[in-house]
Amino acid sequence: MQYERDHLVKYGSIALLGVALVLPFLTDNMFIINLLVLMLISIIFASAWNLLAYSGQGSLGHAAFLGIGAYASTLIAAKSGISPLFSVFIGAAVAAFIGILIGLTCVRLKEWFLAMVTFGFAIIVQTLTVSVLAPLSGGWDGIASARLVSASVPGYQIIEYFLVLAITIASVAGIWYLMKSRIGLAFLAIRENELEARAAGIDPVRYRLLAFALSAYLAGVAGALQIHHIGYLTPESTALIIRSGRSRMSCSAALARSPARSLALLCSPSSGKGSRQPE
Amino acid sequence: MDNIGVFLQIVFWGLYAGCIYILLATGLNLIFGVMKVVNFAHGEFLMLGAYITATIFLLSGINPYLIILLSMLALIGIGAFVERLCFRPILGTGKLNEIFLSIGLIYIIQNGAAIVWGDAYQSIKSPYDGITVPVGSLAVPFDYILIMVLTAVILCGLYLFLKKTTIGMQMQATSQNRKGAMLVGINVERIDVISFGLGCALAAAAGTLWVVSGQVFNPYMGSIPAVKAFAIIILGGLGSIPGAIIGGLLMGLAENGAAYLLGGIWKDAISFVILIVVLVVRPTGLFGEKEE
Repeated sequence: MQYERDHLVKYGSIALLGVALVLPFLTDNMFIINLLVLMLISIIFASAWNLLAYSGQGSLGHAAFLGIGAYASTLIAAKSGISPLFSVFIGAAVAAFIGILIGLTCVRLKEWFLAMVTFGFAIIVQTLTVSVLAPLSGGWDGIASARLVSASVPGYQIIEYFLVLAITIASVAGIWYLMKSRIGLAFLAIRENELEARAAGIDPVRYRLLAFALSAYLAGVAGALQIHHIGYLTPESTALIIRSGRSRMSCSAALARSPARSLALLCSPSSGKGSRQPE
Repeated sequence: MDNIGVFLQIVFWGLYAGCIYILLATGLNLIFGVMKVVNFAHGEFLMLGAYITATIFLLSGINPYLIILLSMLALIGIGAFVERLCFRPILGTGKLNEIFLSIGLIYIIQNGAAIVWGDAYQSIKSPYDGITVPVGSLAVPFDYILIMVLTAVILCGLYLFLKKTTIGMQMQATSQNRKGAMLVGINVERIDVISFGLGCALAAAAGTLWVVSGQVFNPYMGSIPAVKAFAIIILGGLGSIPGAIIGGLLMGLAENGAAYLLGGIWKDAISFVILIVVLVVRPTGLFGEKEE
């Protein structure tokens, strides 16, 4: 059974990948291309959340990392003139750094306590964005954000699509390899039984922080990509994500426990797609 | 002199907000303590309580402070119905089912209320509107004082109910050890229904106190207080009723203090700052039991 399922997942993934590669050439409807880009970004975001859940930590405030990545990348691109293609990764590093700080406050917390602290953290980040950091972030009005690929390039939306697709594949594959490695096994061990994991020589605090940093980094990448794709950034776009993000995260959490894990990673964002439409 | 006046004003607003939070959080805590279920739709029961009180008041003109009893009774019924219909079948099947169920309930109740009552902001006038009581240099609305007294009465009643009555003691036993309670012959499913109804009745009391103070209400009013109530029971320690009371007062005071000192935007954030600071020091909350 396990063998058959692995095969199903493998061929399913290859088929999906093929569809994803061909799809932009089958349509010249830019709405569909844009939708696909947003779906891919959701895949990165849901995978990031899932990675944290793998280590036994459920976060309700992941939208904050999305927002931090978006703001950091936008500001870095605007102030220093670096291309958004690179600032995405620098901005995500800022999100990862803050993720480690949050992780440090959360290492002793479990379940509801962790969920509530991360949720509160998202609220605090939003408050800071519109009050203390308003001169930088533009407050409630938001700021314009450079496009990932300049709109003057012909076919820029298709190029953007393939760039985002490449990053998505890299993230999902990266997570997949990570979960197969010793680090992934350590995450699972901590999630299943922390005491036994410690007895086996795994330092839970270190691995939890690692999970937080990686997850925040990927969420930051997703946020930065999304905002460079849309071209404009307001706190409300993050607030909206906090709300729709919660249901989407729950979806990915539900699917994380189902047997077809890799497939779930690919499916979960599409179930969150509906809640994204109002954007 | 002026400073003291402002300070007193903030304290009174804080106590008033705290009262509503305490009632809501205590109800949530009661349900969690007995059933180990977090009911995210708790704010919606506050909203139902508020609307029931307002509707009866507008139809009959009875003093709204008396309608609180009717509203609580109605919510005991609704709560018991919801528990029997929705929560009992999925009890013990995993946290995610409970989370999704209560999130679903939020939408059903909110939209149902919007169909019945419309979704415009409404408000009612208490019969004591405009009457004030001098406290120091400050004129405190009589409603605020009445609300605080009522909250204290309800909490005392709850305490007596839990400590002195058979059902109350059965509820305590169930919350301490469900299997043990079953073994000594307690019908835990009946206790579930009762505690869920009681939790909803406390939410209804909170909703009633919300509307009689003259605050506006609409079908979506419950979601933010519900999150705050959840933060409060985490702050106080899951399942601890003294924790919910202290936590509620703390949050009410801190919010209003922060709104005055730092600006209204900090009102929501400050409660979570407090929550994080407390949990860093005490990971199981102020009155939570030690784990490990």
